[in-house]
Amino acid sequence: MYRALAYVRRDIIRWSRAPMNVLSTLAMPCAWLLFMGLVMPVEWDGNYLDYVTPSILVMTVMTAGLSGGSSLMFDKMLGYLNKFLAMPAPRESILAGKIMFITIRGLLQATVILVISILIGATILSPLAYLEMYLILFMFGVFFSSLGTTVALYLGNHDSYAAFQSFVSMPLYFASTALVSYDMMPTWLFWIAKLNPLSYAIDATRAAAAGSFPLMEMSILLVLSVCMVLLCGRKFRKATMK
Amino acid sequence: MKILAHGLTKDYGNNRAVNGIDLSVDNEVYGLLGPNGSGKTTTVSMLTTLMRPTAGSAVICGHDIATEQSAVRECMSYVPQDMAVDIRMTGRENVDFFARLYGIRDRHERRRRVEDALEIMNLSDRADDLTKGYSGGMRRRLELAQALVHQPEVLFLDEPTVGLDVAARRSIWEYIVNLKNHGVTIFVTTHQMDEAERYCDRVGILKKGDLVNEGVPSDLTSQMKSVITIRTDSHAPLKELPEGVALVRDENGEIMVTSDNGSESLPAMLALLNDEGIKVYSSTVREPTLEDVYLQSVGKMNSDSDGFNQKQFENMMRRR
Repeated sequence: MYRALAYVRRDIIRWSRAPMNVLSTLAMPCAWLLFMGLVMPVEWDGNYLDYVTPSILVMTVMTAGLSGGSSLMFDKMLGYLNKFLAMPAPRESILAGKIMFITIRGLLQATVILVISILIGATILSPLAYLEMYLILFMFGVFFSSLGTTVALYLGNHDSYAAFQSFVSMPLYFASTALVSYDMMPTWLFWIAKLNPLSYAIDATRAAAAGSFPLMEMSILLVLSVCMVLLCGRKFRKATMK
Repeated sequence: MKILAHGLTKDYGNNRAVNGIDLSVDNEVYGLLGPNGSGKTTTVSMLTTLMRPTAGSAVICGHDIATEQSAVRECMSYVPQDMAVDIRMTGRENVDFFARLYGIRDRHERRRRVEDALEIMNLSDRADDLTKGYSGGMRRRLELAQALVHQPEVLFLDEPTVGLDVAARRSIWEYIVNLKNHGVTIFVTTHQMDEAERYCDRVGILKKGDLVNEGVPSDLTSQMKSVITIRTDSHAPLKELPEGVALVRDENGEIMVTSDNGSESLPAMLALLNDEGIKVYSSTVREPTLEDVYLQSVGKMNSDSDGFNQKQFENMMRRR
């Protein structure tokens, strides 16, 4: 654990010293929040901002997870990984540190979005609701960062991974309950949205914001993220043991 | 023995990269030489537990590389060829990061070790600068500091001077020799024959995965002959040669001979020519270097030189 935290610390230092990276990962969700939250809803019952904010939080964590996927691949390409692998620290701590870092980074970005949403008029929720939301976002972050890392290790080069990233994020987002509720969807989209892991996270975050405890969605997320971490660990061992 | 290998072998599919090599290295600078693709990096990867050998075994500081991997990693450090330091971190942060990875939890102990490592590598005064501004030589020294913070018994270096200028190369080697004098076993791969000859206590030469030659550089070179070239005014062939001297070429007044000891044979040759009344314009002795040993060991098998037509080249040069 100590070693994994050392990796997290290193990645946070490196990330925080590249202001452009910090800004660019925040720009997209900010734009969504401002345009979707303030401009789009012409007719909507209640506060549309309260409806989209959870989905934009989830989207922030997803984008952070996907963009962080290439991080371990870069460590491998640039020769850092070979140094790390020859160290006495357990090799799993490299992966654990990476997933932790990407998830923490996603949660930090989500916090910024949350603050902005409150500033522009979203309702302030109870501490328990926020706690639940963060728990959901954490599990979802772990799921997407290990998914990204697995795919990146599998593809092995940056170009393919960038293609994967843009190919995956938008469709996932639109085919979910991010912007519209189930009852407004055509039947075909309804089923896709029902199977979309993004929907689980969004539905769960929304339910948490509404004050209920979404046990079913959270259990599904837990199972998904555990499976994804295990799969990622397997891919990591394969990629590093020759 | 700090490094002991028996029949170490690695196959990539049907391709044998390392073919059953034996090594025994103690507190010394051991240089592994060989052309690109001869299996140097593969050998180091196996010894540093980055790769599993197909066959054979090796023991580092008494720990088996196959069954006691973490104990092996506990006693050695490895600096790969690609220069990888985090450029958005300071020198001190880079070393501190490694100290944490090596599990030095105590803050004071860690600070002390980081300072020591920076001090040894002469980086203390630039320790708080981002490594982005470091020169190639400084980055390499920082990598050595990262490796030293762990106080390893064995240090593996893959091409430590590649891409550095002459002064930086020399300084890196001086640090390496200094570390050896403080009890660290150094296992280094390199392409630089002159550096290996000067700084390595022993070298091994790999050719297509086989260890074809091994020994102290001066022993290896003393097995090779020196080359003596003499230019004279006589176009007549020499009638006799001093003892221990073999003729290579004698044409157009240029005599080329080889001898086990060039500095002794040259006066003998000159005396002989003097007796015969032949005037000598110039004479040179070239003592054998590790490069000659290397080229003889690996053969001139480089694909690059296969296509080179020596005869044609000489003709071309003569026409100038």
